[in-house]
Amino acid sequence: MFRLLAGRFLASLGTLFFVGLVLFALTRAGPGSPARIVLGADATSDQIAQFEQANGLDRPFLEQYVVWLCDVLRGDLGKSFVTGRDVAGEIADALPVTLSIVLFAFAIALVVGLGIGISAALRPGRLFASVTRLGVVLGLSIPAFWLGIVLIRFVAVDLRWLPPGGYAPLSAGLTAHLQTIAMPAISLAVYYIAVLARMTAASLQDALRGDYVRTARAMGLSSPRIVAYALLNALPPVVNLAALSFGYMFGWALIIEQVFNIPGLSRALLNAISQRDFLLLQGIVFLFTAIFVIANLGADLVNRVLDPRQRSAA
Amino acid sequence: MSRLAQLVRTADWTGWLGATIVLVMMGAAVAAPLIAPYDPVAISIEHRLSAPGAEHWLGTDQAGRDVLSRIIYGARASLAVGIGAVIIGALLGVSAGLFAAYAGGLGDQITMRIVDGVASIPLLVWAIAIVGVLGVGPVTIGSLQLPNEVKIVTLVGCLFSPVFARVTYAVAKRIVGADYVKARYLQGASHWQIVLGEVLPNCLSPIIVQATLLVAIGIVIEASISFVGLGVQPPQPSWGTMLSDARNALYSGEWWLPVFPGLAISVTVIGFNLLGDAVRDLFDPRNEARTLVA
Repeated sequence: MFRLLAGRFLASLGTLFFVGLVLFALTRAGPGSPARIVLGADATSDQIAQFEQANGLDRPFLEQYVVWLCDVLRGDLGKSFVTGRDVAGEIADALPVTLSIVLFAFAIALVVGLGIGISAALRPGRLFASVTRLGVVLGLSIPAFWLGIVLIRFVAVDLRWLPPGGYAPLSAGLTAHLQTIAMPAISLAVYYIAVLARMTAASLQDALRGDYVRTARAMGLSSPRIVAYALLNALPPVVNLAALSFGYMFGWALIIEQVFNIPGLSRALLNAISQRDFLLLQGIVFLFTAIFVIANLGADLVNRVLDPRQRSAA
Repeated sequence: MSRLAQLVRTADWTGWLGATIVLVMMGAAVAAPLIAPYDPVAISIEHRLSAPGAEHWLGTDQAGRDVLSRIIYGARASLAVGIGAVIIGALLGVSAGLFAAYAGGLGDQITMRIVDGVASIPLLVWAIAIVGVLGVGPVTIGSLQLPNEVKIVTLVGCLFSPVFARVTYAVAKRIVGADYVKARYLQGASHWQIVLGEVLPNCLSPIIVQATLLVAIGIVIEASISFVGLGVQPPQPSWGTMLSDARNALYSGEWWLPVFPGLAISVTVIGFNLLGDAVRDLFDPRNEARTLVA
């Protein structure tokens, strides 16, 4: 088991190393060198050479990458050439905002998605099944950012139930915090509610058809106990999907933050793009990639831990 | 042909609804100049922000442009990006999957590890960042000038490719080891004949299912990237940029500006999802749960 864990972990680190390399190359593929961007069009070539030497930009590409990566491992993402601010600090300011939206949305998706999925599997009536199926297709098809816009229009502007945008941190009080993140989190969660509900329903229905369920019934076990056993067997694909969803949610959170005008990583990323702030851009995208890779790794490991049949298949 | 006849008989009404939506949207995209009542970029200040009515069925926007015409033309960008990305992803992914399964050994290992690597890239974040770095200007190849969407199609296509590589690989690996394939080999069939004649046809049904469902995801991604201003560039109409413009109308009375472009996206995506589900039920009814997530 330990060897398996270590192997998967190393593979993920390797992936991150190479994907980071691609990212590093791409951020340098844009028009204009950082020196030119910072010093302006009037800078002489002497000044540019001096700037590049001072910032290590004249070093070979791979060396620059390794130096940057070692700094990243120490938690130092560099200092922005453009704003002079610490990139790690800038990210640390914005990350809690994005994180709180994603975590809230993830919690909603888990509770509601699993709830709908389990009731759909246990009540396989025609009407309920059709309603669930329709709901799932709608949930999968309505773009989260449009849902956000519609919520702002009707819940915030017409009904005045919630503020139409902005962000209040937890330190401003729980109610204020929840009021600002409720609509973003709901918009973000709807797609994942549909995904998780569909998987839970299908997986649990499949488990309930198993021979051991029939045996348990014949033995006279209580219904809730049988469902609990079946649920345990139905869980691995659901947990796997949930972990993957968690990774994907961060990407869509970027768009949602734009809709609700929330000062999270989305604003930092778009600022980095418009100011051509390489290091900030690199830091943010690397952070998202790391989260995504970890979510993938988690999905993989959870599957193996929950499903004994997969434990040996390393 | 028997497969097609079976499709006609067994598909339930949701599949037909999906197919109809997809065909109508494709028709609208292709025939946009013929069916759009107005020029989608023609500005007309005296008609600005008029409500849906007889003259403008879905109303006009802040610049007096006809919303219906813009939605019809917007279908072009959405479908072109969605379908184009899936074609690129399928070409790359299917080739990689076939190669890995047929070559075996080290080639298999290396190809599938690269596929794993590409699959661990968060698509949306990278698409936004890369287009941001490269800029939103047109792409010039020789004398050919292509719009900014080309970057999105290519990026999304590359990042879709692992899905195709994995489904192709899973089926192809099984086929490659089958006795009748060995028999074909002993008959003297070339590698190409075996891969294209025996292995690929067996992989087609899961590939078609994934392709249909991925077009739906591609359309939402295009709209989202255009929404943040990195996709289709104004004044060209796109559903995402229309929604971005509509944000200015959120606090005034013009409800039609945020509602109709979003409905266009949702209906189109519903169409592809219903069609994809129906095709999957037909080809692969056991795997109801295998879900694509993005």
